[in-house]
Amino acid sequence: MKKPTRLPHLPFKSRAGLTVQREISRLLGVVWIPAVAFVMRFMLFYRIQDARRVRRRFRRLVNEVDGPLLICPNHLTMVDSALVAWALGGSWWYVFNYRRMPWNLPEYHNFAANWANRAVVWVAKCIPIVRGGAREDVAKVLSKVQHVLSRKETAMMFAEGGRSRTGRVDVESAAHGVGRIASSITGCKTLCVYLRGKKQKSWSTIPALGDSFYVDFKFIEPTSENSGMRRSRDFARQITESLAEMELRYFALQGS
Amino acid sequence: MTQEEIFDKVVEIVTPYAKNHEALGDVTEETNILVDLEVNSARLVDVILAFEDAFDIEVEDEDADAVNTVGDAVELIQNLLD
Repeated sequence: MKKPTRLPHLPFKSRAGLTVQREISRLLGVVWIPAVAFVMRFMLFYRIQDARRVRRRFRRLVNEVDGPLLICPNHLTMVDSALVAWALGGSWWYVFNYRRMPWNLPEYHNFAANWANRAVVWVAKCIPIVRGGAREDVAKVLSKVQHVLSRKETAMMFAEGGRSRTGRVDVESAAHGVGRIASSITGCKTLCVYLRGKKQKSWSTIPALGDSFYVDFKFIEPTSENSGMRRSRDFARQITESLAEMELRYFALQGS
Repeated sequence: MTQEEIFDKVVEIVTPYAKNHEALGDVTEETNILVDLEVNSARLVDVILAFEDAFDIEVEDEDADAVNTVGDAVELIQNLLD
């Protein structure tokens, strides 16, 4: 097996900034995490199917992971990251297990275009990214994700480059950055998560009001005999293929 | 392999991925692959993997981050070939 790629150096200022962000976010977590859950549960009336079993299983699996955790969900709506985090961990569990509240990478223009939004996503443990932006800027964000994961934290990155325009997992649009992160961090566990609202026919801004969500997840261990970019590509593809398999299972269950 | 040969090969590889066909007629070392040729950023990975095949080299993700222009790609390939 090839060695993981080297981690790029992250300047002290960026490392310190991430530490400050994490700690302030953690202190305010007692407010913002239950608030997000409240909005989803009681204002948007979302419901996680079999939530108790899903969360028990997630917590049991995650408790066995001592190191970094990369969560890779499918992507259909703009609130998927909040939904996935809520579906898996609930709210109060994260307050007491803050390491497992994932760092998220929201699209800058959608979520951080003005200072107020930037402040909100900063508190919510996010590192905004301009998708398709300047390569140096994207690389800086990926370096930050590599840094937080190397500190045994949790990050969430969508396996596809964006919301699936077909409404199905698109293996061909596997995001290279996800493979790059997964392949570069020693001991990083990759959790593939398939989440879909019952009313979700295709992609959308947010799920329909009152939707109920099917959730499935599993750890995978991507492998590659290649190195360099091909290794990252192999990892990204295996993650997306795993989600595609979970999607097949979802539709098979709906049909039965 | 000369720099001109690498340049020509790079342009040949990028061509099928470029959405701006007009810009292909006037490619220089300063031509930005994403902005001027309008290659989709997600497809840039495929372009660089095609460089690997064509020149029998291996590119690390971090090295690929420095590739913005055709000239950057030529320089990277030349360094890896040396």
